[in-house]
Amino acid sequence: MCAQPVPNTTEIRWQKVLYERQPFPDNYVDQRFLEELRKNIHARKYQYWAVVFESSVVIQQLCSVCVFGVIWWYMDEGLLAPHWLLGTGLALSLTGYVLFDLLDGGEGRRKSGRTRWADLKSALVFITFTYGFSPVLKTLTESVSTDTIYAMSVFMLLGHLIFFDYGANAAIVSSTLSLNMAIFASVCLASRLPRTLHAFIMVTFAIQIFALWPMLQKKLKACTPRCYVGVTLLFAFSALGGLLSISAVGATLFALLLVSISCLCPFYLIRLQLFKENIHGPWDEAEIKEDLSRFLS
Amino acid sequence: MVLKAFFPTCCASADSGLLVGRWVPEQNSAVVLAVVHFPFIPIQVKELLAQVQQASGVGVAVLGTWCHRRQEPEESLGHFLEGLGAIFSHEPWLQLCRERGSKFWSCKATHRQVPTSPSAPGEDQVMLIFYDQRKVLLSQLHPPTALPDHQAGDATASTRGLAAVFDTVARSEALFRSDRFDEGLVRLSHWQSEGVEASILVELAKQASGPVCLLMAYLLSLISAASTCRVFKLWPLSFICSKLSTCEQLRHRLEQLTFIFSTQKAENASQLMRKANTLVSVLLDVALGLTLLSWLHGKDRIGQLADALVPVADPSSASSVVVYWAYCGQTGLCGQEPSQAECPWLLRVAQLRGRRKESLGAGKEWVAEELQHLLQWLMGAPAGLKMNRALDQVLGRFFLYHIHLWISYIHLMSPFIERILWHMGLSACLGLTVALSISDIIALLTFHIYCFYVYGARLYCLKICGLSSLWRLFRGKKWNVLRQRVDSCSYDLDQLFIGTLLFTILVFLLPTTALYYLVFTLLRLLVVTVQGLIHLLVDLINSLPLYALGLRLCRPYRLSAGVKFQVLEHEAGRPLRLLMQINPLPYNRVVHTYRLPSCGCHPKHSWGSLCRKLFFGELIYPWRQRGDKQD
Repeated sequence: MCAQPVPNTTEIRWQKVLYERQPFPDNYVDQRFLEELRKNIHARKYQYWAVVFESSVVIQQLCSVCVFGVIWWYMDEGLLAPHWLLGTGLALSLTGYVLFDLLDGGEGRRKSGRTRWADLKSALVFITFTYGFSPVLKTLTESVSTDTIYAMSVFMLLGHLIFFDYGANAAIVSSTLSLNMAIFASVCLASRLPRTLHAFIMVTFAIQIFALWPMLQKKLKACTPRCYVGVTLLFAFSALGGLLSISAVGATLFALLLVSISCLCPFYLIRLQLFKENIHGPWDEAEIKEDLSRFLS
Repeated sequence: MVLKAFFPTCCASADSGLLVGRWVPEQNSAVVLAVVHFPFIPIQVKELLAQVQQASGVGVAVLGTWCHRRQEPEESLGHFLEGLGAIFSHEPWLQLCRERGSKFWSCKATHRQVPTSPSAPGEDQVMLIFYDQRKVLLSQLHPPTALPDHQAGDATASTRGLAAVFDTVARSEALFRSDRFDEGLVRLSHWQSEGVEASILVELAKQASGPVCLLMAYLLSLISAASTCRVFKLWPLSFICSKLSTCEQLRHRLEQLTFIFSTQKAENASQLMRKANTLVSVLLDVALGLTLLSWLHGKDRIGQLADALVPVADPSSASSVVVYWAYCGQTGLCGQEPSQAECPWLLRVAQLRGRRKESLGAGKEWVAEELQHLLQWLMGAPAGLKMNRALDQVLGRFFLYHIHLWISYIHLMSPFIERILWHMGLSACLGLTVALSISDIIALLTFHIYCFYVYGARLYCLKICGLSSLWRLFRGKKWNVLRQRVDSCSYDLDQLFIGTLLFTILVFLLPTTALYYLVFTLLRLLVVTVQGLIHLLVDLINSLPLYALGLRLCRPYRLSAGVKFQVLEHEAGRPLRLLMQINPLPYNRVVHTYRLPSCGCHPKHSWGSLCRKLFFGELIYPWRQRGDKQD
């Protein structure tokens, strides 16, 4: 080992290479090492209102779950006629379907290459299967205790909220899993309803609110942000109103939750950015910048 | 090196003469086979030895002299004996001498021509080993199977030496043919010299066996020719024959008889032993079968058996109670009779049950009650399982209807059961094993249990497979067949919806199906266990080497595992004298060596794979998958 530095080392400069024998210990670095240190290169400056606007996706999803719960409660109590819900749901779905195409002038449809016939087929499949299975769904969980069903539904809806695709790029996000959990919860809850028709309409409503509504939201947010904010506010207030009619305490808590998520959390996020200290340097792992996917396959 | 002289004990008291035997140069040992007495003409002795050598292929020669001094030592005899060495030249020349009284033996081995070393001119140390000629002749040596490495080389050498001795004695039988009553020119002394043993019965059997074998072989060849006739090769018959254990057993019995009565001579000892084993096991089997037959046909036992068997076979007393209780449990009607409009056959089952109740003993009642309790427990919330009422009802009705069909079948059959049993009893003439192949009858009578099991297993398997693949869909994954792994996959909205709907339904219906599957699998396992025990018994009778075991019990020396030596005399200046005794073969090695091939191949399951199959609802015995499933 060359542990002894050579006396006249002034000329020999240390090089950061492994393929040459140098008169320095193995763990030697010189002063230039920290010159390449950089901090917070990926940190972003957030605007408060932009963050609030982005958090509206979470608000929307929370409100969806809340509206679903409220509607189910009304159905279970017999306060809401299933026909009325079916009619409203159908009308809203048709409106949404028309809006979906109008918003971007048929751009998305052309891009995805999906025909109206396929849409009709999907709708038929939904309706037929749900209607066909609704007697089965009705008697499915008769012997299971109600508490178990409630616990399972709450668990599944929480899972739906956790795994939902809010636009973040994380490993935990799985829109498939989140949708499946929501459908599972809705089937569990629908099996508690008094009649077969109720179960059928509940599951249909679940598809509308958990599968179709987020798609429309995404498009709204992309095309008409102002309109989106209005819709979100309207949706949130209607959910709060519905909850208020059931329980005042629940409504208060839910309102607090919404406010904290949409106002407090963004504020806190921006404050926390000040303490951010990410260091980068030559010791980082190598990062492949170029897209190599064309070499694969 | 010590010279070993093997000397037969029967010659110890013989008169003086010449030692005849074989010299084994590799082991440096001399195996003495007989003693030739005076007076003899040397040329005749040589002729005799040449004849024996030609007949047996053993290099028999004159090894030395034997001197038994009864009276005062005669100087002339000693000289004479020494002079004989010049006539029969052999290297080394043994001089065995027994003094007056039995205690003193002397033995010398001299090398006449080439002294080995100047210090000991022409003399070796000699070890005298006595052996029982008759036992060694009759015994069959079984070399040890496996030994630890450090002993192996040593042991194989000694085993080879021992085998050479046994082989020499066994092959030179020609030497022992003559006894002292013969008018031969040369007088010999050996184990049979007092007279050749013979029995009239054995001789008669030997004379009779030839024609009997010929006749039987002819008859058997006729039977086997008939059985290979084309009619039996047609599809349904051949299939049925391959499935029924009675047919299998009959075929095996035919093979056994053909083997016994084959007119060819057994080639070696092991084949002879196998023949004898087969013969004894067939004889014992037939004897047991005849005993069973006489027991069955006395005092109308067949009728009693049929009466007992019908209710056991028709489990209207058992399974229908199961389903009856299942039905009551799910409709919440425990204790009440279900209305007639709902299920008329249920009433019929109940009536049948009542009728049976009168005819049955307390035992069947007990079984029925036990099953009732089991099912009562199952119908509640067994182990906290949640049953689905609607599916429960459907399955219950389905199985009820099946049992109804089965009961009608049994009642159609019941007049014939006695006659069938009588004919089955006749088959006991062919042996107990054939009669014991009643596992066919058990299989026929419990066919409905098998059906239930198959339905339950298929349903359960379907659920398990569906659940596993839908669970992957639930997580947004799929099974990649090409890479044999789970990949992520993006599904359409309607696929997801239908998949999750089915998944939910299957999850909540699983406990009900699993319970039915469990109950019917347990019933099926019970039947399979009984059948397996019968198979084991039949196999035991078929494959146990009874003749070899009898030999081991009555004539332990016939099957030897080795020898042991007992020291007779060990004094300085005199030759070491040892007595060779035969170690009998241990019983487990007898069974292991002479086990007969058993008939039929039983599907082999390890316990792990069995449990796995049970868990995944794959069908266990008797069902073979066509090939491994490519999932």
